[in-house]
Amino acid sequence: MSRILLPFITYIAFVLESTVMQVLAPEHYGWDFLMVPHFAMVLIILMSCYLKPSYGIVYGLIFGLLSDLIYTDLIGVYMFSTALVAYFIAVLSRYLFSNFFVTILLSILGVAGLEFLVYGLNSLIGIADVKMADFFYDRLLPTLILNAVFTIIVYFPFAKLLRKIEG
Amino acid sequence: MPQFFSNKRLIILLASIIVLVAMIGFSMKDRKELSWPEQFLKDTVGVSQSLFYKPANSIAGFFENLSEMKHMYAENKKLKSKLNEYAELSVSVQDLKQKNQSLKGQLEKEADLTEYHVKEATVIGRSPDRWNKFIFVNQGYKDGVKTDMAVVSPQGFIGKVTRVAAFHSTVQLISDNDQNNQISAIIEGDKRIFGTIEGYDSKKQSLLFKKIPVNSTIKKGQMVISSGLGEAFPRGLLIGTVAEVKADETGQTKIAYVKPAADLYDLSHVTILERTMQQLDENEFKAKEEE
Repeated sequence: MSRILLPFITYIAFVLESTVMQVLAPEHYGWDFLMVPHFAMVLIILMSCYLKPSYGIVYGLIFGLLSDLIYTDLIGVYMFSTALVAYFIAVLSRYLFSNFFVTILLSILGVAGLEFLVYGLNSLIGIADVKMADFFYDRLLPTLILNAVFTIIVYFPFAKLLRKIEG
Repeated sequence: MPQFFSNKRLIILLASIIVLVAMIGFSMKDRKELSWPEQFLKDTVGVSQSLFYKPANSIAGFFENLSEMKHMYAENKKLKSKLNEYAELSVSVQDLKQKNQSLKGQLEKEADLTEYHVKEATVIGRSPDRWNKFIFVNQGYKDGVKTDMAVVSPQGFIGKVTRVAAFHSTVQLISDNDQNNQISAIIEGDKRIFGTIEGYDSKKQSLLFKKIPVNSTIKKGQMVISSGLGEAFPRGLLIGTVAEVKADETGQTKIAYVKPAADLYDLSHVTILERTMQQLDENEFKAKEEE
């Protein structure tokens, strides 16, 4: 049962990124910083912390491809970045204790990695024309805060589910 | 130091980088139509997006209304004074319309660039990463939407349709930084200036109207409208107003910063426009010449 629940929950997190979070986006209230939700990525990071590395990589590939196809114009950027981040987190988490704080830290690290990879690839292609300092203060820091808050909210219920799947 | 990559993994990484480059190359080609798996995915996600977006939007709208209540009295007063002007204006517009129609009848002109059909659409989502500025709407090719149609909000022009699935489509906003995202536009004034809008300055939150001749005089506050040349957009859609004019890097031409008329963030209902006059087909053109 919980095995079927896992893709379903990740999909809902993926859809929330483009709908509910866009209604609550800071631009609506006239603030000029960006908070980019990476909720599916956060869940995938938690998966790679608690399950086999293959889980994180496969989910990363699938949901990365999905966001490439639906949210962007280029196929491959998110697919590659999400899977790579999931792999790195899986390797790192084997050398660290899996407690609450370490997981939050890993999730922040993973989201920052994803943001940097996507920023790098997009500036290579010419879609992103933002300077590094602007990227860092206006986009990266608020994004990390938003996703850290999301990780704290979902951590306990989601870790419980993952332990159940692990058996 | 843990070893991140064994030899086998390194090869997998290199192979996936090659695949990444190939995929990006494939998708950077100017594709007009989506393949059927993409359309299927788009529609499936679109259905779930509308499940979430509409309730969230209406709840947010409710709280917004509450805060707007405070300003109601002052606003009402202002609107009442505007209403008188409106009555005058609508009479004169009616008059002009009739005149226009009769003159057109004399010319035996069937259609021109300003006429269009209208399709209402509801926004069901928005691209979460701000590198791509897309919104998703609940009208697809089953409703008659085609690529490159103009999309407007009540305040003005917002973008064009880029991807169409059966029941949902993607709209590229004018603020998107894609190189193909160009709109031919006119700066209204005593002397009309034709040019294209290419690119967006996210710091100044304004569009860039490039390649204006140096000797032309442009003032702050002049209107910028779509020209209807080159694309499938109707003519005369309000894009924005000029906020600033600067010489560009070479000094040969000027750049105008155009403040978009529409609020590109607060979008819930948009209108898709289909121009009545289609672009002239080459065959049609030849046939007409032979006549």
